[in-house]
Amino acid sequence: MLKIRNLCVCFGKAEILHGINLDLMPGDSISVVGESGAGKTTLALAIMGLISGSASGEISFLGRDLLDISEQEYRKIRGQDMAMVFQNVEDALDPVYRIEDLIEEAILCHTRPGKKALDERVSVLLTSVGLSRNKGRSYPHQLSGGERQRVLIAMALANNPDLLILDEPTASLDPLTKADIIRLFAFAMSGRMSLLITHDISLASALTKHMAVLYSGKIIEQGKTEKLVKDPRHPYTRGLLRSFLKMNATKDLQGIPGHMTLGLSGCPFHQRCTQHIEICERIVPELVRLNGSLIACHRGGILPLLQLKGLSKRFGSFIALQDINLTLYEGETMAIVGESGSGKTTLSKIIMGLYKEDSGDIQLEGKGVGIRSLEFYRKVQMVFQNPKESISHRMSVLDAVMEPLIVQKMGCEEDWRKRAINAIEHVELSSDDDFLSRYPHQLSGGEAQRVAIARALALEPKLLVADEPTSALDPSVQAKILKLLMNLQEMMGLAMLFVTHDIALARKVSDRMAVMQKGQIVEIGATNEVLSNPMHPYTRKLVECIYWSENGIYGQRKKF
Amino acid sequence: MHIDPFRAVASDRLALAGLFILATIVFMAVFAPVLTFFSPDCYTGQIFSHPSLMHPLGTDSLGQDIWSRLLYGARTTLLVAAGVAVISVILSVLVGASAALIGGMYESIWMRIVDAMYSVPPIIVMILVAAYIRPSLLITILMISLLSWPEGARIIRSQVLSLKEREHIYASKTFGAGRRHIFKSHIAPELGPLIMAMTVQDARRAVFMEAGMGFLGVSDPMTISLGKMIHQALDFTYLEVWKWWLLPTGLALSLTLVALCFIGFSLEAAMDPRLVPGPLERSKEQC
Repeated sequence: MLKIRNLCVCFGKAEILHGINLDLMPGDSISVVGESGAGKTTLALAIMGLISGSASGEISFLGRDLLDISEQEYRKIRGQDMAMVFQNVEDALDPVYRIEDLIEEAILCHTRPGKKALDERVSVLLTSVGLSRNKGRSYPHQLSGGERQRVLIAMALANNPDLLILDEPTASLDPLTKADIIRLFAFAMSGRMSLLITHDISLASALTKHMAVLYSGKIIEQGKTEKLVKDPRHPYTRGLLRSFLKMNATKDLQGIPGHMTLGLSGCPFHQRCTQHIEICERIVPELVRLNGSLIACHRGGILPLLQLKGLSKRFGSFIALQDINLTLYEGETMAIVGESGSGKTTLSKIIMGLYKEDSGDIQLEGKGVGIRSLEFYRKVQMVFQNPKESISHRMSVLDAVMEPLIVQKMGCEEDWRKRAINAIEHVELSSDDDFLSRYPHQLSGGEAQRVAIARALALEPKLLVADEPTSALDPSVQAKILKLLMNLQEMMGLAMLFVTHDIALARKVSDRMAVMQKGQIVEIGATNEVLSNPMHPYTRKLVECIYWSENGIYGQRKKF
Repeated sequence: MHIDPFRAVASDRLALAGLFILATIVFMAVFAPVLTFFSPDCYTGQIFSHPSLMHPLGTDSLGQDIWSRLLYGARTTLLVAAGVAVISVILSVLVGASAALIGGMYESIWMRIVDAMYSVPPIIVMILVAAYIRPSLLITILMISLLSWPEGARIIRSQVLSLKEREHIYASKTFGAGRRHIFKSHIAPELGPLIMAMTVQDARRAVFMEAGMGFLGVSDPMTISLGKMIHQALDFTYLEVWKWWLLPTGLALSLTLVALCFIGFSLEAAMDPRLVPGPLERSKEQC
């Protein structure tokens, strides 16, 4: 088994890996994912003993500490007990040798079988990686990328190693070849310890049972692959997943703001983290066990921001809301969909304290909110459906955006102006005096809604409740506003409760979706799952209606 | 909807006419001492004299100069109008807005009081008050104000109630705004034009009621009132001079009312978007 304890790797003064702990049992597989420069390849090379820098800590493999043994002994292990498939298929093969010579060399380094046995071993290896025997006579440049990759795998498997390390093994392959190679890997990895280094999350989920997320030389989240991909708890992991292209992802791509900086004090991710608190800048968070997986975050990862418990509301005899339970996490978008009259707007107004709930509990950051305080509104803001109605026609753009700051009495008047202008620039509006002194009736619908969004963002809230924010706008303006909201979420880590009846829109902007009918949430889950496999008849009906209206009633129903 | 009462009035011929008449009357009342030769109460030595250079409208049964009395009477009229308008509008806004904003028990109590006030016949109350207390100008103003605020309160309340449901007020609430901020920044500016219109209406009614009380003789006998002059002139219709006494007074009173009516009408039209002529009708007017 492989046991890595507190592994640190330095190149000169730069510390590339820091305090890595990893365990691998026979038959186990783990993938290490992260951005380029996170130290993934360094980790692989450190295990292989191929780094030029200095390493400290402990890498115990089959009972020996690899950091203590001499290069002589290491050579015996390398290729024999552990093997690596390298990243670059172009350079990893020596162009002046035939393929069979290369594979033979890998075997001959460690054992001296007879000529016949050697030949047989090579042809077994070639067949096992899906190459015909006569391919063995060709030179590397005569092979395609996929074939070269197969050769590399054959070389790695030559001595039947206990530990297989794969470094970005499919980076340069086309999808068809990649699918073949993945099948091959699955076969090669069975029964071995395997470590997969990749930034391809779908490859990692296809091949490994466990996953570790590496950031700036530290593991920040580790756990079962399936759980990690479905329900990431570290803000970085979520950012990574959001920026990864997947067929079944419905939300638009979002990135992670900023770039990785090495050698930061405190949490390595704190500069780019939209949820960071003061302690993150000073103290490095430990990797601790939380709900079955490991996470290194002072705040315990992504926390629930808003929790609704058993919320009910009646207007006279009309039941507007009935037993609503909902949890919204930080930096997440939850879409609330349903037909008109299903209680969506009532729900958002109750959250904002504009209506009083009959029973139930609303919690913000784990604390109950009773009568809404100024503090509450600093964290939760709302964007209304009709921008021209929601901005007083007697207020200029600047007055309107400054209003929340005035109400909250934050700082002095100059501050208000500065922050208001800042917010206006954030929503990509002009901040010259001419625009600032315009009145709502002098603005277009899209501009007015941007002003309304700027006004809601002036307080830098953590949660934005958006009640049909684009239903009054034409499609091109709607697209701009939605992109703007997504960008703001990426930059500021804003959580959003997106109330809409437009499912196609909800599909594009939301991480999760709650379907409401007659004041009840009938279905809630990840947006792509709810839409591709609706469980409740009402959801199914909604989705079908959209499908029909888009493809004509006679269009054949496809699954999407 | 952007209401600018000043522009609305300035672009309306009717309102301009009203403003012109009112301004003339105000001017004459303010400069009454300069424009008259005699004090209104002094005996000029000649009763029932015909109009002459010294007495443009002649003198009355007590030998007082009618022209002087007319101008000083206009002062009373305008003073009552202004006083009632201010007091009544303040009461209306205070009661109406607070009832709408606070709601609950407070609102129902005030609105029941308003309902009750509606059923009170003003003239009877006036006569009774005059019978028990010696009426003075101040009491007249207070009485008329007390009788005329309920209608305004009802209008203000309904307006504030509808304003309260406007989205920008909800938006303001989601910034954490309290009642005071909402009233100051959102409701008061919206009520401005309405309050202007109400002021004019209250003034008009006050002019009418003051004249009526003077005519009925339930006002302060010492104040010079146009209504009282009309009443006195009617006693002497058998003499030839009555028309110089009655007609200018009646005309002055009517003009004041008409002026206020014109302004009020124009403001009301400006307030109600359904009464504002659209661009189509406006272009027709110009043709």
